Amino acid sequence: MKYSQHSLAILPLALSLCLGGLAHAQTAQEIVAATDKVRNPGQPFRTTLRLTEYVGGQERDHDSLVVFSKEDPATGQFRNLVQYVEPARDAGKRVLLDGHSLWFYDPDSRVSVRISAQQRLIGQAAIGDILTVNLAADYAASVVGTETIEDATRQPRKCWHLELKASNDLATYNRVEYWVEQGSFYPIKGKFYSDSGRLLKIVYFRNFAQQLGAVRATEAIIIDAVDSSLATTATLGEYAYQEIPEAWFQRDYLPHLQVK
Amino acid sequence: MKLEPQIVVVLALLFVASGAARAGESAQEDKDLSLIPPPPPTPPVATPVTSGASQKIFLEDAGTESWLEDRLVPAPPPPDARWEERALFDVRKEWHVGDGLRLTYSGRVNLRTADGLGFPNHENLTNDLREAYLSWQPLDRLFFDVGRINVRSGVALGFNPTDFFKTRAVVEPLSVDPVVLREDRLGTLLLRAERVWSRGSLTAAYAPAVSSDSAIYTSFDLRSFDPMLDRTNAHDRWLLKGTIDMAEGLSPELLAYASQGRVAFGANLARNVGKSVVTYIEWSGGRRGTLSGDALAFGRATGSLPAAAASVLPGLGSVGFRNQVAVGASYTTALPKITFNFEFHYNQAGFSGADWDEWFRTGSGASAPSPIPGALWYVREYASDQQELISRRYAFLRMDWVDAFVPKLEVTGFIDADLTDGSTRLQLGADYYLSDRWTIGGLVLVDSGGRHSDFGSLPQAGSVLLKVVRYF
Repeated sequence: MKYSQHSLAILPLALSLCLGGLAHAQTAQEIVAATDKVRNPGQPFRTTLRLTEYVGGQERDHDSLVVFSKEDPATGQFRNLVQYVEPARDAGKRVLLDGHSLWFYDPDSRVSVRISAQQRLIGQAAIGDILTVNLAADYAASVVGTETIEDATRQPRKCWHLELKASNDLATYNRVEYWVEQGSFYPIKGKFYSDSGRLLKIVYFRNFAQQLGAVRATEAIIIDAVDSSLATTATLGEYAYQEIPEAWFQRDYLPHLQVK
Repeated sequence: MKLEPQIVVVLALLFVASGAARAGESAQEDKDLSLIPPPPPTPPVATPVTSGASQKIFLEDAGTESWLEDRLVPAPPPPDARWEERALFDVRKEWHVGDGLRLTYSGRVNLRTADGLGFPNHENLTNDLREAYLSWQPLDRLFFDVGRINVRSGVALGFNPTDFFKTRAVVEPLSVDPVVLREDRLGTLLLRAERVWSRGSLTAAYAPAVSSDSAIYTSFDLRSFDPMLDRTNAHDRWLLKGTIDMAEGLSPELLAYASQGRVAFGANLARNVGKSVVTYIEWSGGRRGTLSGDALAFGRATGSLPAAAASVLPGLGSVGFRNQVAVGASYTTALPKITFNFEFHYNQAGFSGADWDEWFRTGSGASAPSPIPGALWYVREYASDQQELISRRYAFLRMDWVDAFVPKLEVTGFIDADLTDGSTRLQLGADYYLSDRWTIGGLVLVDSGGRHSDFGSLPQAGSVLLKVVRYF
């Protein structure tokens, strides 16, 4: 919580510094907060999310979801509501993430049960991977150095190489390596590690486009680092600002959620 | 300045080493980039978000083969079917029918044949009307529902003490997995009001008596297209439940339930611990009889048991305050992704070890047509019909493994152990998602234990089911 409040407070300053070409003056935590702002709109919004799973480079399966996200001013973290649209066997299932609370609603049984962030959503994407999160709220960052790496389209990008350590038990991963482009604060690449230090996933961000007032990555490629033949792309679309009442984040509201 | 030869060598080695390290990092970057799948040749067609959001329709064909064994206490006729073939059409769909109005239907039409059922007859075609209700939202966050609704409560997986509307609701399940049992069941005809606030909710439901108690159904006397309200609406029932956010991640649910002059209370509490563990506890308690006592009363009321049955039933006891508890935790492993649920189940009204001893002592050696085993087995049929634990203590472990061994293969399984006698029920199932539309699967059920044990005395020793599903 302390991190998030600090991060939000310095965000305008961080951006102004960036525009002024003084990026080097920023702390690692400020960089993460700034790139959070690139990834996530500042007002409540909804978007569609298409998760496509690949095996050996061939498309194997896909899911379509609708996601509602709203930042909690008290914690600086996003709360998310998700509804499955495809495939047909999962249509109507819903997931609610609100801080420590993660609920799964199944319309077949008409009941909401608590689940953990580790539980898989589809393909290589855990629930904690695809929901809107502010990394600055859950991780403590440090700068490893400055590197020029190739992005998902093999274009060179001059990046801060950051090391993120989980700072609370809401973080999905224990450790993250994160590459953020200098100047733009675009997230370029991430490596996610288990508690035992094992590399679990490699994530590339691509297809930056103007969405809800800023240029944002509209696709993440999640590569399974253990079985490298497996990959999942998460493609965002149909962004729209939407007022989301607080009651929507009650588990008992899940059966009443209407996606129109 | 002239460098010493040793220093030159050291610098050269450092340069080579740093170059090798850069080359290694670069090679790793190339490797990471090479793992990115190529973009699709044609952009994916966007799916309208409402197209699949409010319906699930599928056609399934399932064949079951069972193994029956002669047991110490013979079960009364008719014997369980040795095989069954069932084709079913399952629909769950919602319609918006006006401003703030929504209509929900959930049902299943079964076409089935089975050993001993005969063909053709009216029991080959049955319809399970699970839900049919109208929802009205007159104000923001205020909801009214009227019709047949599956009202379910409880945070546990294997046994739900607070799921008060589960009684008599399950009709001829294809699986005994508790997760399936709470999906494939009849709702209750009721009126429900619900108000959701930003920090809690309150629900009140009233289910009127529109029918009367009926005898426990067998596989061979189901009613084709009767909604079977006698199962769900034989008595007036009330439910009041509420949740409140007490702290971050802590929102207990409290319940009060009333039926036939008895009131029961319940509570549910679940909490995330870290990113891979969820702990939970579920409790209910109220004045009631023992399982045998309640079974005897129900059997007499429906004409299924003679008054003399009281002399052979163990553990009749008297009416008193009795508790039911389910406490457990789920744990999801990082790699591979397997979710385990481990639970302890307790039913104070169930059989003790002494009750089981008496049950076997009374029934041993009797012939199936005699009334004694019929009365003894009636208690167990009653427990199954009520979805209540027959014994007092069980340990339950369930596993759900997505992408098991190969992608798109989901393996589920559970083991339920009666802690009184160590007997177990084990079920393992596998579903392979051939595509978005097609799934094939199967499951194996094995009951095992000594001849004087809970699961070891069931007529069915095991079964195998194979199925194919087409989603629409």
